[in-house]
Amino acid sequence: MENMIEVRDVKKYYKIAKREKGMAAAAGNLFNRKYETKRAVDDISFSIKKGEIVGFIGPNGAGKSTTVKILSGILYPDAGEVKVGGFIPYKQRKQYVKNIGVVFGQKSQLNWDLPLIESFELMKFIYKIPQKKYEENLRLFSKLLDMEEFINQPVRQLSLGQRMRGDIVASLLHSPEIVFLDEPTIGLDVVAKERIREFVRYMNETERTTIIFTTHDMQDIEKVCDRLIIIDKGKKIYDGSIEEIKNRYANIKTIELLLEDGRKETKTFDVSKTPMSVVMESLFSEKNIKDITLCESEIDSIIRDIYEGRVILDDLEAERN
Amino acid sequence: MGEVRIALQSLKMSFSTRMQYRVDSLVAALAVFIRESANIIVIYLALLKFDSINGWNVNEMLFLFSILFLTYAFVVSLFADLRDFSRMIREGRFDRLLVRPRGLLFQLILNNADLIASVGHGTLGVLLFLVSAGKVGIHWNFATILYYVCAIISGILIQGGMFIIFSSLSFYFVETNSIREIFYWNMRKFAGYPISIYHKLIQGLIIYVIPFAFVNYFPAQYLLRKPDMVNYNEIYIYIAPLVGIIVYLAAYAFWRVSVKRYYSTGN
Repeated sequence: MENMIEVRDVKKYYKIAKREKGMAAAAGNLFNRKYETKRAVDDISFSIKKGEIVGFIGPNGAGKSTTVKILSGILYPDAGEVKVGGFIPYKQRKQYVKNIGVVFGQKSQLNWDLPLIESFELMKFIYKIPQKKYEENLRLFSKLLDMEEFINQPVRQLSLGQRMRGDIVASLLHSPEIVFLDEPTIGLDVVAKERIREFVRYMNETERTTIIFTTHDMQDIEKVCDRLIIIDKGKKIYDGSIEEIKNRYANIKTIELLLEDGRKETKTFDVSKTPMSVVMESLFSEKNIKDITLCESEIDSIIRDIYEGRVILDDLEAERN
Repeated sequence: MGEVRIALQSLKMSFSTRMQYRVDSLVAALAVFIRESANIIVIYLALLKFDSINGWNVNEMLFLFSILFLTYAFVVSLFADLRDFSRMIREGRFDRLLVRPRGLLFQLILNNADLIASVGHGTLGVLLFLVSAGKVGIHWNFATILYYVCAIISGILIQGGMFIIFSSLSFYFVETNSIREIFYWNMRKFAGYPISIYHKLIQGLIIYVIPFAFVNYFPAQYLLRKPDMVNYNEIYIYIAPLVGIIVYLAAYAFWRVSVKRYYSTGN
C-alpha cells in the first residue's frame, strides 16, 4: 500500500520574545529584544498509509497542533520534508487542500447565528461540490450523526455535541481523502463522543479515508485508532499499536500507599525485574503502611506515567529496532 | 461563476444574520447614521459663519463629504473582515481560510459584511448627495455621470487597498489598530475639507501616502472646478478614477509578500 502521508525529519522552531520582569527591563526590551527558541517540533518522522487511522497524543504544548498545522499546509516546517497525497502541503496550498478536511475542535467554522445548512451551502460553493454528491453526502451524514432534528436551528442554540457534529460535517462534505481531526471530542459528554467515534470509524471503513486524530481522551484512541503516535516536547516518543504498549506495560504496576500518618504515596515498579514478593517485603519493612491499593495498568495510567516521566520509552524503542 | 455564487452566499449569510436581530440592527444602523450626521451638522453650522473656505461654499463641502460616505458604505461591507483582521489573526480564525481551496483575499472580501454600517453611512451619503448635487452647478451628462461612477469605484478600491495594507501589517505586528487609527481615520477626517487649506506636509501625505485626495477632492474638482485647483497638477483629476486600481494592485502585491510570513510563524 502506498504511503499517504510522509514526514521526514521535520523541525519547527518558534522564536519567542523573552520578557523580563520590572519596568526598566521592559523598557530595555522595547529596543533590544531577546529571543528564546522553542522547539515545537523537533525532528519528527513517520509515514501513514492510505486508510489508516492514527491517534496523535501528547501533553499540552507537546507539538501535536503544530504537526497538524504543518500537515494541513498552514505552517512551513523549518527543516525536513512533508508529502501528503503527492503534494507538498505548504507549497501547493490551493490544489492540496481540496483533498483534505480539517476539524479544529476548539475553533468552529460555522456561522453562529444561522442554521447549519447555511454554512453547508457555503462549503458546497467553496469546494465546488456537485449538487448530487452534496445532497448524497448531506443525507448520509445527517442520518449517521442524527442531525435532521437540528439542521435548521441556529448554531447558537445547539449543544456543544451538536455543534461539533455540524463542524465535522462541514469539513467532510467534499469527501476528502485525508481528514485531520484536532481534538474533535473536547468537552463532549460520553454519548456525544461515542457518536463521533462511530462516525469516524464508519468514514474510515467505507470510504477508506485516512484519518489523523488528536485527542487527550485515551478512549478515543482505544475505540477508534489502529495506531498510536505519542509526541512529547516536540519529539516522537512512541509509534505503534495500542496493544503493544499495553502488553509492554502489563508488567508495570502502580501501588498507592496510605501511610499510618495519613500521607499518600504512589510507587511504580516493573514486576518482570523485581518480583512482587520482593517489592512488598521491602515496602512493609520500610514504612508504616495502613492501606495498600494495586492499580490496574489501564492505558490511561500508562500514558500518565509516560507524560510525567515515571516511565521512559527509550528501551521500548530500542527493543523494536 | 463559482466565485459569484460564493459571494452571493456570503452576502446572503450576512444579511440573514442581521435579520436574526431585526430591531437591534435597525437601531444600530440608526445610531451609525446619527453619529455621523452629528459631525456633519456641527461642521455645517460652523460653515454658515463663513461664506466659503478657500472658495468652497457649504453645498460644495457637503458634496465633498457625500463622496466619503458613499464610498465608505461599500468599503465597510466589502472589506469588513479586513477591517477586523488583526482580531481574526489573534483568534486563529485565519487558519480556517488556509485550508480552503480558494484565494485568501477572496475569502475575506464580502465575508461578515457589516451591512449595518453600510446602511448608516450609505443613507447619509445619499442624503448629502441629494441635498448638494443639484446646487453646486454640475452639469450632469453622460461624461460626468461616467466619471462620477468611475471615481466612486476608484474611491472604494483606494480605501479597500488601504485596509488590505493595514491588514498585511498584522503579519508583522500583533496589534495594528493604532497604526490604522493614525493613518486611516485621521487622514479621513482631513479629507472632509478641501485639502488646499492644509499645511504642505499634510497635503503631501493625503495625496501621495494615504491618497484620500483621490477619493473625493480630485473627483470633486473635476466636477466643480474650484480655483484652488491651481495648486495641483491638472492631471490628478483625470487619473483619479484610475488611482484605485493602482493602489489596489500595490496592496495586493504587499499582501502576497506579507502573508508568506504567516506560514513560518503561525499565530
